Amino acid sequence: MHRSRGTTLLALALALALSISSIAVAQTKTVGYPGLGLEPGTPGGTLTLALGDSPPRFFYYGEISQPIQLLSQQMFDSLVEYDLETYDLIPALAESWDVSDDGTVYTFNLRQGVTWHDGEPFTADDVVFTYEQIITNPEARAGDAAQFTYTVDGETRQVTFEALDEHTVRMTLPAPSPVFLLQQRFFIMPKHALLPFSVEGGAEPAEINDAWPTSVSPSTVVGTGPFRLSAYVPGQLVRLERNPDYWKADEAGTPLPYFERLEFLIVQGTEAQTAQFLAGNIDQLNISGAQFPDFKSRELAGAGFSVIESPALFGSPPHLAFNFNAADSDLAELFSNAEFRRAMEFAVDRERVIEDVYNGLAELPGTPTAPVNAAFYEDTTGLFNMYDLSAAAAALDALGLVDTNNNGVRNISASRELEFTLTYGNDSAVFTDIATIIQNDFAEIGVRVNLQGIQASQLLGTGLSGDYEAIVVALGNLPDPELRKPIWQPGGSLYYWHRATQPASPGEAPNFDAMEPWEVRIWEIFDANSTEMDAALRAERYREWQRLNAEYAPVIMIAKPGNVAAVYDTVDNFVYSLGVIPGYNPVPFYFRR
Amino acid sequence: MLVFFTRRILLFFPTLLLVSFISFFIIQLQPGSFTDRYLEDPRFSPEAVERLTAQLGLDRPAIEQYGRWVWGIVTRLDFGFSFFANRPVSTMIGERLAWTVVIAVVTLGFAWLVAVPLGIYTALKRNGFTDAVASFVGYVGLAVPDFLVALLLVALVLAYGGTNVGGLFSPRFIGEPWTWAKFVDLLNHLWIPVLAIGTAGIATIMRQMRANLLDVLHADYVRTARAKGVSERNVINRHAVRTAINPLVSMAGLQLPELINGTIIASIVLNLPTIGPLLYDSLLAKDQYVAMTLLLFASLLLMIGNLLADLALAWVDPRIRYG
Repeated sequence: MHRSRGTTLLALALALALSISSIAVAQTKTVGYPGLGLEPGTPGGTLTLALGDSPPRFFYYGEISQPIQLLSQQMFDSLVEYDLETYDLIPALAESWDVSDDGTVYTFNLRQGVTWHDGEPFTADDVVFTYEQIITNPEARAGDAAQFTYTVDGETRQVTFEALDEHTVRMTLPAPSPVFLLQQRFFIMPKHALLPFSVEGGAEPAEINDAWPTSVSPSTVVGTGPFRLSAYVPGQLVRLERNPDYWKADEAGTPLPYFERLEFLIVQGTEAQTAQFLAGNIDQLNISGAQFPDFKSRELAGAGFSVIESPALFGSPPHLAFNFNAADSDLAELFSNAEFRRAMEFAVDRERVIEDVYNGLAELPGTPTAPVNAAFYEDTTGLFNMYDLSAAAAALDALGLVDTNNNGVRNISASRELEFTLTYGNDSAVFTDIATIIQNDFAEIGVRVNLQGIQASQLLGTGLSGDYEAIVVALGNLPDPELRKPIWQPGGSLYYWHRATQPASPGEAPNFDAMEPWEVRIWEIFDANSTEMDAALRAERYREWQRLNAEYAPVIMIAKPGNVAAVYDTVDNFVYSLGVIPGYNPVPFYFRR
Repeated sequence: MLVFFTRRILLFFPTLLLVSFISFFIIQLQPGSFTDRYLEDPRFSPEAVERLTAQLGLDRPAIEQYGRWVWGIVTRLDFGFSFFANRPVSTMIGERLAWTVVIAVVTLGFAWLVAVPLGIYTALKRNGFTDAVASFVGYVGLAVPDFLVALLLVALVLAYGGTNVGGLFSPRFIGEPWTWAKFVDLLNHLWIPVLAIGTAGIATIMRQMRANLLDVLHADYVRTARAKGVSERNVINRHAVRTAINPLVSMAGLQLPELINGTIIASIVLNLPTIGPLLYDSLLAKDQYVAMTLLLFASLLLMIGNLLADLALAWVDPRIRYG
C-alpha cells in the first residue's frame, strides 16, 4: 500500500501537532463496519466464550495450540490485520507502510502512543525483538523461521529487521514475496518482559519456550491487545479484563472494546460445550452444520439465541484421497491412475453430504480454493463428475475392472478383489457420516471399502506416514494458496497422497521423476507464484492449478462447509470468527444489548 | 507387624518399575508421534518437526528415553516434563490433585453412606418389596456407565432450565474468593458428579454388603448369640454387621486408584478439573511422561490402598494377624 500524498501530509501535521503538545496521546484508530451491520455499542458487562482445552501456557510462540491462539488474539496485536468485511489488509500496530518498487524493502510506520498492558511504551524495538529473537528463532516451538528464510540462486538467505527510529521498522527481503504483507499478522511481543528468555538476553535458543507458563503472575503477561490477562484457574477458566488504553475506537469515538470482562470457560468436547451454551453459561458458540437442526429448533422455540450462517473463507473442507504410493502395488497402480480417481468421483455423492451431513450448510467445494475467495477462486464445478453410479460403473468397466468371480465385487485380477481400507476420523460425527456414505455408494458399484476409524487429529500424521490406502482428511483454506503451498505443491512436505514426489532430504529439489506431467505443471505454478508480484498473473496461474486439480483429481474435494454459530440475542454486533486466525478479531465490537 | 509393613513397602519398588516399563513400551507401540498434532498448522515446517523432536529428546532410542526418565525420578524425584505444557509433570498433577481428592472423597463417602445401610436393610428384609426395588435400582446403576448417567442428569437439568450443567462452579464464581454463595454454588454443581459416579459404586457395595450379611446371619455364632438371648438389635450390630463389613474394607483399598482412572469419561463429560481428563489427553497425545507418571501414581495408590486395607482389616478383625 502506497500512501497518497494527502494522508502523508495529514500524518505529518498530526505528528507535528503531537510533538508540539508533547503529550503522548495514542494514535487512536476509529473503525466501523456499517456494511456488516455493526453499530456503536455501549460499554460494560461480561462476555463468556468457550475454550476447548486448558492453555498449555500463555506464550503464543511457545506452543501451537488452539487455546493459546484464541487467547492471544485478544491480548496481542499484529502489524497488520484483516478488514472484517473484505479480508483486505488494514493497519493495526503499523499505522502505515511503504514497499520499495522492487518489492524487497518494507518500511512500517508504527502507531504512536500505544502502550503495553503494564504501561511501558510500544516501540520499534519490540517489533524487531519479536521478529529477530522469537519468530525467526528456529527453536521457538510456534515460531515461523521457515517463513523468513529464502532460497535465492541456491543460497539460503534471511529477511533482516532493523529499527530506523523509535517508530519505524524496516524489513529487507532477499527476494520479493507477494504474500509477505499477508504474513505480517504475527503477534508482537513485549521486549521488556521477554528479554531474559531470548538469546539477546543471554538465554539458550530453546529457553524462549519457557516464557509465560500458566503458573505465571497474570499481570506479567502483557500485550497491546484489547484485553489483558486477569486470572487463570487451571482446568476451569481464563479471565481477561478490558484494556482501558486500547488504540481502537468505534465511529462514535467510544473506545473499544465494549466489554469490561472477557471470560473463557474451559469446556472440553462438543456435548459439554453445547450443554453450557444451552444453559446460558456461554454467550456464543461456533457449531457445525451437523448440530444445526437441534439449535435451530430451539431457536424457533424461543430459546433466546440465534443461529447464524455465512459462507466460509477459512476452515477445513474435507477431501477423499487415494494413496498413489500404497504399500499394495495393485492398489498403488490403480490409485495413481487419474481415470480411476475420476471414475470413483462419480460415486462420491457431494449433494447428499451437503444435505444430510451438513444439513445444507455447505456448498460445492473449490479445488481447493474457497468459493467465497473472490481473488483466487476458479469455479471448477462444471468439471466435476457429479454423482452418477451408472457412469461410475461404466468408467470402471472401461478400465477393465469387472467382477470376474460373480461375488458382487469387481476384480483387479482374477485373484484380487477391488477392495481397500478407508481411514477416517471416528471422533468426528461429520467424518463418520461421510465415510459411511462413501462406503455404501462404493459398494453399489462393486467396490468394497473397509472402514478404519482413527482420531481426527492423527489423520494428517497417518497420511504423511503413508500407512493408509484411502483416507478422508480436511485441510484448511487460507486467503492465498501460497500460504498452503506445502500441502498443494507436488513434493511439498504435506503433499501426502503422492509421497514419491518428496525430495531425497528436506530442502532439496523434489523428485520430478515421480511426478505426472500435470503435477510438474502445478509445481511450476506454485514455484513461479511465490515470487510473482503481478497479482493478475498470479491469480491466472492459480486458476489454472484449480482446473488441473478438477481434471486430474489428485484428491476428490467433497464439500466446503459454511460458518455456523449460535449467539444469544443479548450480544450485539456479532460477526462470525473462527477465533484462531491471527488478525481477524471481531470480539472488541461485541456488546451487551 | 513392622516386618510385614516394611516388606510390603519394599515390594512397591520392583512393582512400580515393572509397571512403568510396561506402560512406557505400550505408549511407544501407539502409532503416530507427539508432533502429529501440529502438522496442520502452516507454521509447522519439516525443520520444525526435527527441532521439536530433538528438543523433546524423542530422537534418542526409546530405551534411553525410559532410562533417563527413571534415573530422574530415582535421583531427583523429577517425573519429567509435559511435552505439551513444557512444565514439570508434578506441578501439573499438583494443580488438579486437590479437586480430584475432594470429588473422590465426597463421592466415595456418599456411596458408602447410602450403600452400607441399604445393604444391611435389604439383607434383613430379604426378598421383600424394598429388596427387589433396591436390587433392581442397584443393578441398573451398575449396568449403566457413569458417563451416561452424567449425560442424562445434565439433560435433565437443562430440561428444567438449570444452569449447573458441568464444571464445579458458575463462571462468575470461578477464581473468586470463597463466600457462602460460592459454597452453595459448588454444592449445586457437585451433586451431579457425586450422583453419577456414586451410583455405580452404590450397587457394588450394596450387593457385597447384602451377600456378606446374609452369609453371616446363618453362621453358628449368630445363632448362639440369639440363643443367649441377646437382643436382635445387638445381634445384628455387634455380631453380624461387624464381621460382614470386613471384605468391604479390602474393597475400599481397591477403590483408591479409581480416584484417577475410574471416572475419566464422566469427568470429561462433566468438565471437572480433575486428573482423569489429564490422563486421557496425555495418552491420546502421546505426552508420554505425563501419561506414565499418572499410571505410576495410580499403581502406587492401588498398592497403598491394599496395604491400608490390610492394616485396617487387622484392626477391625481380631482374627487376622500379620507377622
